Amino acid sequence: METLEQEIKELIIEALALEDVAPVDIEAEAALFVEGLGLDSIDALELAMALEERYGVQIGDDPELNQQIFASVRNLAGFVNENRAP
Amino acid sequence: MLRPVTRMSSPSNTFQLLASLPTGDPDDPTPVSFDRRGLRARGALRRHVTELRDAVAERGAGRWLLCAEDSYAAATGLLALASAGSVAVLPPNRQPETLRQLAQGCAGVVWDGAGREDAAAAGITHLGIELLAPPRAPAQTAERPLDRDRPFVEFRTSGTTGEGRAVPKALRHLEDEVRALESRLGRGLAGDTRIFATASHQHIYGLLFRVIWPLAAGRPFQSETLLHARELLPRMAECESAALVTTPVHLKRIAATDGLRGLRGVCRAVFSSGGPLDAETAKAVAEQLGTAPVEIFGSTETGGVATRQRDTDGEAWVPLPGVEIRPGDGDRIEVTSPYVSVGELLADGRGRIVMGDRVEIAADGSFLLRGRADRVVKVGEKRLALPEMEAALDSHPHVAESALLVREQAGIGRVHAVVAPTAAGREAVTRGGRRGFGAELTRHLSDRFDPVLLPRAWRIVDALPRDAQDKVTAADLDALFRDGDSADASDPQQGLRVLREQRMDDGIEQTLEVGPGLPQLEGHFEGFPVVPGVVQLGWAIAAAAAWLGERPQLSGLEALKFPRPLRPGRTVSLRVERSPRGSSYRFVLQDEEEIFASGRLLVEEAQP
Repeated sequence: METLEQEIKELIIEALALEDVAPVDIEAEAALFVEGLGLDSIDALELAMALEERYGVQIGDDPELNQQIFASVRNLAGFVNENRAP
Repeated sequence: MLRPVTRMSSPSNTFQLLASLPTGDPDDPTPVSFDRRGLRARGALRRHVTELRDAVAERGAGRWLLCAEDSYAAATGLLALASAGSVAVLPPNRQPETLRQLAQGCAGVVWDGAGREDAAAAGITHLGIELLAPPRAPAQTAERPLDRDRPFVEFRTSGTTGEGRAVPKALRHLEDEVRALESRLGRGLAGDTRIFATASHQHIYGLLFRVIWPLAAGRPFQSETLLHARELLPRMAECESAALVTTPVHLKRIAATDGLRGLRGVCRAVFSSGGPLDAETAKAVAEQLGTAPVEIFGSTETGGVATRQRDTDGEAWVPLPGVEIRPGDGDRIEVTSPYVSVGELLADGRGRIVMGDRVEIAADGSFLLRGRADRVVKVGEKRLALPEMEAALDSHPHVAESALLVREQAGIGRVHAVVAPTAAGREAVTRGGRRGFGAELTRHLSDRFDPVLLPRAWRIVDALPRDAQDKVTAADLDALFRDGDSADASDPQQGLRVLREQRMDDGIEQTLEVGPGLPQLEGHFEGFPVVPGVVQLGWAIAAAAAWLGERPQLSGLEALKFPRPLRPGRTVSLRVERSPRGSSYRFVLQDEEEIFASGRLLVEEAQP
């Protein structure tokens, strides 16, 4: 799971072209949106697309579910692990 | 100059004035909206409107904040408030601070769901629209049509939360524009085309295109909002006829999935507004769907101004029926039309106002956009006056002066910031690096600005770059971001300024200013920035190259020493001397008190 978390951190930085952020700067349990990394609604769309392209996971429009999935890198990794295309 | 169209045709038989919508048959089964649960009927809308109108009237008319996520609820709220003689205030965002501030000037808030607890906690009078329950009102609806000239809705335009300008609209502004839209764009849309949307009805574009226009034309509108192509497109595909009301950010994503191809023959039109649509996306949509997106140019203040489809109009915008345009001050576009609700009011009821966009008007009345005159930008759908955010930055004790620009990051235009720090600011940079410095300023801005507007990248400078006329130009600012977007370790000269240079027969001496924003300081080390040895070495090699006129071919290093750590924010001298036989360059980096680096660069022996 640790390598997946690392991969996802790298994916976030690359897909969103974040400046001044290295994977080591993103804590696995820290918030991604609003607080913590401070991503916003535009980032959410871009990230969902990048995750789908890379892992085949589908992220939809359920706001409650999404809040869970995107709460942290750890949550995201868990979701990807369970739902990734074989 | 175009003549305004004073009489407008209603091309569709079912086109109905919104003003009389609340009156009429309470059992009318005609669909007005749909979501995943099914259809809602016009009769039900009338009854919901009456029910809410009575509840509002009980508590007192006046201004009411309308917070609805569901578009049917928004329609209910608007019509009910108007029926009660109230004005609906639409908040620009749902930030708690925004709502709290706006609610203070209102009799209460009409909600459709989420967030009610916040309102209760803040002691704000609120009414809920119970949409799941069938309307309770007896079969009797409004007796009188709505007054077309009374204020109907109030938008707040802003780049800041809770403040900004109030832009009121009377029903006639919206109704008349919708008739112009129908006349220009309705032909391709059949009577019962279903209107899907990603755009929010809290802003004028979404309100007109996904609620008001469909209601008037009798086309059912989607009341929920699906943002992801994967959920949205299949639902559209289920219809016989559909149209999409969207914005550049979402349309780019949708086009990238190639999903519009599967909607040929079903999707009659894709509308885009809220910001400039890039040519690539426009082309992709045209190629997939068989028809180019219909782009709309307008603003909250002016309503709709012009439309274009790039496959027929090229880059030129065609003014809507009823819109008269003229070049104003500094080539800015002056708009006169029945849809303009602020600015100068003419005797015939039309409004006249100058927009911040510069234009070039052709002989046939069409025009090209030539950029903004006033540095107001759009990120996503959100509007920001850059000077407003610059002022907010300048008010921070770490900032001496700042300049902002919009540049693309991950394919989307984002705010980028250039900051000249104060002495306290330089200290903060030394302590926390560029990242910590930027994070602190972002925090400062986040209280008042929408999250998508916050700067995504920072450059720290000693002073803002100025041209010969002493102006800060966007081109100079952009250059700061172009040369190596983030810490480019392969360019050791970044963040370094050569103050003085002296060439001698056998070497070169430079006086260097080591800036606090040097990118190689990132993480080196956290809380204690030190210029890495390899970077200092790079400076020595660059100095040798400057003397030699080309990069020297080096085979190795000798006697490399870094006696003292070099902290940023100081001036140092670098001396590079070539040995008599030219086999090496000796270098020393020091100031009056300490030596930071020394050694010898060994030159590769030339092969005979």
